[in-house]
Amino acid sequence: MIDALAYAVVVLAGVAAIWGVVTAIVNKPPGKAQLLYAAGVEVVTVLQSIIAAAKMISGFRPAELATTIGYLIGIVILIPIAWLWANVERTRFSGIVLAVAAVSVLAMTLRLLVLWTPAG
Amino acid sequence: MTGVPARQPSADVRRTNSGAGRVLVAVYGIFALAATARASVQLLTKFDQAPLAYVLSALAGVIYIVATVTLARGTRASRRLALVAISIELVGVLSVGTLSVVDPEAFPRATVWSVYGIGYGFVPLLLPILGLAWLWHTRPDAP
Repeated sequence: MIDALAYAVVVLAGVAAIWGVVTAIVNKPPGKAQLLYAAGVEVVTVLQSIIAAAKMISGFRPAELATTIGYLIGIVILIPIAWLWANVERTRFSGIVLAVAAVSVLAMTLRLLVLWTPAG
Repeated sequence: MTGVPARQPSADVRRTNSGAGRVLVAVYGIFALAATARASVQLLTKFDQAPLAYVLSALAGVIYIVATVTLARGTRASRRLALVAISIELVGVLSVGTLSVVDPEAFPRATVWSVYGIGYGFVPLLLPILGLAWLWHTRPDAP
């Protein structure tokens, strides 16, 4: 984990969540820019998990190892699944589906920041 | 054309996986993932610390998986299974929630349902209520 990158994920995911709610309010399915943006948030999230994995391979041991690994894996599958689920039936609710995934990524990143303390 | 009373054409059947139902399925999916992952870690790494709480965690995970899949399928048969799973979920969150408040000793470690899901913003308490309401709203014989 790199704190600055984690906070970047929090902000990017927060914007994705708000964007999803806004398109739902104006009764539109997510547009192309919004879907690309979600993909961008995913790229940064994956980057964060890769860096964390690299740090753990090179010796860092968080206090709750199994939970941390679970979070690092789980966090990267949320947006892709929501992306597909939102695109099968494109309505205003597709935006909310993306928002739900984005809020989860946000919450999990905040939790990861807490989990990222050395063992012992 | 036979004398059989006309059934609702399939396009008109309100499906659990359509419209707002897609959001419900998404939230259920996230809880399926969270509860199952959490229970797996608990059972694998510290089962002896609180066997009852961790087994209940695993049960919650299974129920969330069943609810996610059945609501996402939205067929007549899967609706029935969803009703069973979500009813168990409601009983589970209410009983584990109450037990964890009146007898914290019995639940020394948090589960998704501890204190009515306080660790998850009380969404675990809200979810089965929304789930049952959605099943009622999309019932096939609705006027």
